[in-house]
Amino acid sequence: MLPPDAGIGYLFVLPLVVLVLLLIAYPLGSAVYLSLTEKYVGYPPRFVGLKNYVELTGDPVFRKVIWNSAVFTVGSVTVKLMIGLLMALSLHQALFARRLVRGILLLPWVVPTVITALAWHWMFDALRGFINVSLETLGLIGEPIAWLGQPSTAMMAVVVVNIWRGFPFFGVSLLAGLQAIPADLYEAAAVDGASATQRFRHVTLPGLRPVIFVTTLISTIFTLNDFNIVYVMTRGGPGIATHILATYTYEVGFQALRWGRAVAVSMYLMPLVVVMIVVLARRLTRED
Amino acid sequence: MGARVLAWVSLSVLLVAVGVPFYWMVTTSLKTSTQIQSLTPYYYPRPVTFGNYVELLRGTGFPRWIRNSTAVALGASLVTVLVSCLAGYSLARIRYPGRRLLATTVLVVYLVPPTLLFIPLYTILNGLGLANTLWALLVAYPTFTVPFCTWLLIGFFRSIPPDLEDAAMVDGASRVQAFHRVVLPLAAPGVLAAGLFAFTLAWNEFLYALVFIHDGDLKTIPVGLNDLMFGDIFLWGQLMAASVLTTVPVVVLYTYLQRYMVEGLTAGAVKG
Repeated sequence: MLPPDAGIGYLFVLPLVVLVLLLIAYPLGSAVYLSLTEKYVGYPPRFVGLKNYVELTGDPVFRKVIWNSAVFTVGSVTVKLMIGLLMALSLHQALFARRLVRGILLLPWVVPTVITALAWHWMFDALRGFINVSLETLGLIGEPIAWLGQPSTAMMAVVVVNIWRGFPFFGVSLLAGLQAIPADLYEAAAVDGASATQRFRHVTLPGLRPVIFVTTLISTIFTLNDFNIVYVMTRGGPGIATHILATYTYEVGFQALRWGRAVAVSMYLMPLVVVMIVVLARRLTRED
Repeated sequence: MGARVLAWVSLSVLLVAVGVPFYWMVTTSLKTSTQIQSLTPYYYPRPVTFGNYVELLRGTGFPRWIRNSTAVALGASLVTVLVSCLAGYSLARIRYPGRRLLATTVLVVYLVPPTLLFIPLYTILNGLGLANTLWALLVAYPTFTVPFCTWLLIGFFRSIPPDLEDAAMVDGASRVQAFHRVVLPLAAPGVLAAGLFAFTLAWNEFLYALVFIHDGDLKTIPVGLNDLMFGDIFLWGQLMAASVLTTVPVVVLYTYLQRYMVEGLTAGAVKG
């Protein structure tokens, strides 16, 4: 026997279910199939088994792309977490204008990513960009640096932009976490004679751990799949120095027009993403 | 005392780091191209010119892109509010088998990255004859706006005390009437927030718009700007003017949305 109103419950949730099945589950399923085919635009797919995956494994370009993705993601997320922690702790200390400052610091996270990437592209411009111009004014560099034109600095530049965009998300989430730590814990620790450092280590950090965990996972998923910043700033270049999985998927799919292969590229993310999503879903749907 | 000084020092550094790109964006948009290209740097425009804005609105597809972006974002947010409101209420309040599984699915689906979806979605939309039309975006955008907004609204509906609708139903109102007459008016701020979130998510979207639309007349702002950028010369003045115009509406919306922001995804973690 169904509970009363179950029918209405199902009816209300039906549009969502249809959307999820048709526009998410079905495309994901067909992605798995497409990755097992050789599919050129305009031709029907031809089943080739694991050929795409096998060929990619041996492809030095693809290996470099995986490496780049790892560098981009680990570098960005680590620094975002550190700056976000600094932002949260500082905002928590600051009693004056906290909401206003938080609002301003949140701006990078709010601006359309393409605009962020455009503005930073211009900041990093070799000839007249703000960074070179001000470094020259300060006498720190003799001649302009082509930030986006050299492999090492280009990777650093896209990581910087990802950090700039993403640290407020950490800051705001961690601040909420800090505010949720009961004040009596600090008082008890102070009464027991704990120093500020000890209070941080034994009260603040353990209290923040769940938020840090969840925020880092969410950020890792989205950073790993970032497309906009790299595409707009470098198109994956110079050469393939900044190509990451998302931009490379796009290039194989829409420049080389090899869809089967392109989907296989993105599928390499699948196991990692699935694990992270499952862990997150368990954490966030726990009934309290 | 020392801690507070340290806090303000680091906040000041962060404020400068956040502010500089905005400063450079706005001032560049107000410079002439001579000032932009000049070898002696212009740290601020002198004199200020609105030429870039005029050029952008007269000489490029920008007005067209604004119309496209607005139409798609409005359409997508309407669809989203409708679907998410019903689903959010159902998942937050009504008890039936499968409810928890569905709530988890909403979260899972929100986290599925577009990188995995864009090629198969394109083949599907192509098959439906929707590729290269704005309808493609109207169909595709709910794949990320609906999960996000439903998740937000589940939390929001849960925060409304159930007593009122229970009382209405004791008085003989049906579930649908209670939802419509009692819950929705109370939930209005949250529903508005969800709609505005959907609008900004759609307004900001780039990858699907880049892939699904080829026709220059149908481009949305981010894709149009990307085209403007990889022309022969970089028109930084116009590009920054466009960036300012695109950013302003989003920033205005977020001053309202700020307090809903964290509740969206990390709420469970903050509580737990």
